Amino acid sequence: MGKRVLVIDDSSTMRKIVSRSLRQAGLDFDEILEAGDGQEALTLLESQSVDLILSDINMPNMDGIEFLRQKKEIAGIAGIPVVMITTEGGSDIIGEAKALGAAGNIKKPFTPDKIEEVIGGLI
Amino acid sequence: MDLDLQKQIIDSTQAVFDTMLMMPLTAGISLSEKVYDFKNSISGMLGFAGEIQGMLTIHCPQEIAFAITSALIGIDVDEVDADVKDTIGEMANMILGGIKDGFTEFGVQINLAVPTVLAGRSYRVSGMDDATWTTVPFYLDEGEFLVELKLKAPK
Repeated sequence: MGKRVLVIDDSSTMRKIVSRSLRQAGLDFDEILEAGDGQEALTLLESQSVDLILSDINMPNMDGIEFLRQKKEIAGIAGIPVVMITTEGGSDIIGEAKALGAAGNIKKPFTPDKIEEVIGGLI
Repeated sequence: MDLDLQKQIIDSTQAVFDTMLMMPLTAGISLSEKVYDFKNSISGMLGFAGEIQGMLTIHCPQEIAFAITSALIGIDVDEVDADVKDTIGEMANMILGGIKDGFTEFGVQINLAVPTVLAGRSYRVSGMDDATWTTVPFYLDEGEFLVELKLKAPK
């Protein structure tokens, strides 16, 4: 089975940009799944398996920090690497994400090269 | 606050256009009068709170919003649909994200809300009348758009 990535962002525009940037970066995903917030992502992950998760932090309903907090308590998905893609550049919130298991951080705005640099080693 | 707000707006907006849209952008000089009324436009607004509170708004004529959307997600658009509204909201998010970094370097912490978007043939945007404001015009081949930052101390 090919590699699959889940993109979590409340902005459909940003989900499209991330998907396009993954292709432009030459990253080999066979399927790109999308969710609009952390809760939607947790529901999706009950029935779908993915190799990598790219998540915004600042989202309604369930933000990226709460998503990380709940994900790490669910045995079947706790080990999936998560990279945060966010406007948040502050060390506090990025530090909190890393403490909850985030594997990396990409600051918006970003280039496909930055995507490749951070994600390339995780797949 | 001694932070150069015009520079913060210009640097952050320029970074978004240079990095993600590849569109040549020219910044103007801050406006001397507030702009309240917009026609055939879209406005993306994002509030923030913390050690200082305020609102970042990007006001785009429709043609500018279509050009930004096309450049950002790679599809042609000619009507104000969900993609256009979402794109202008995300533009506000990315521009304010850059300005937030400037605040942080200055020792001021803020937390961002989620964007809201207004669009219509004719509308008026007001509120936070007691806030200080800085509005910078930007120029693309398709025309002019505005980025406005309102700030006030928390109560």
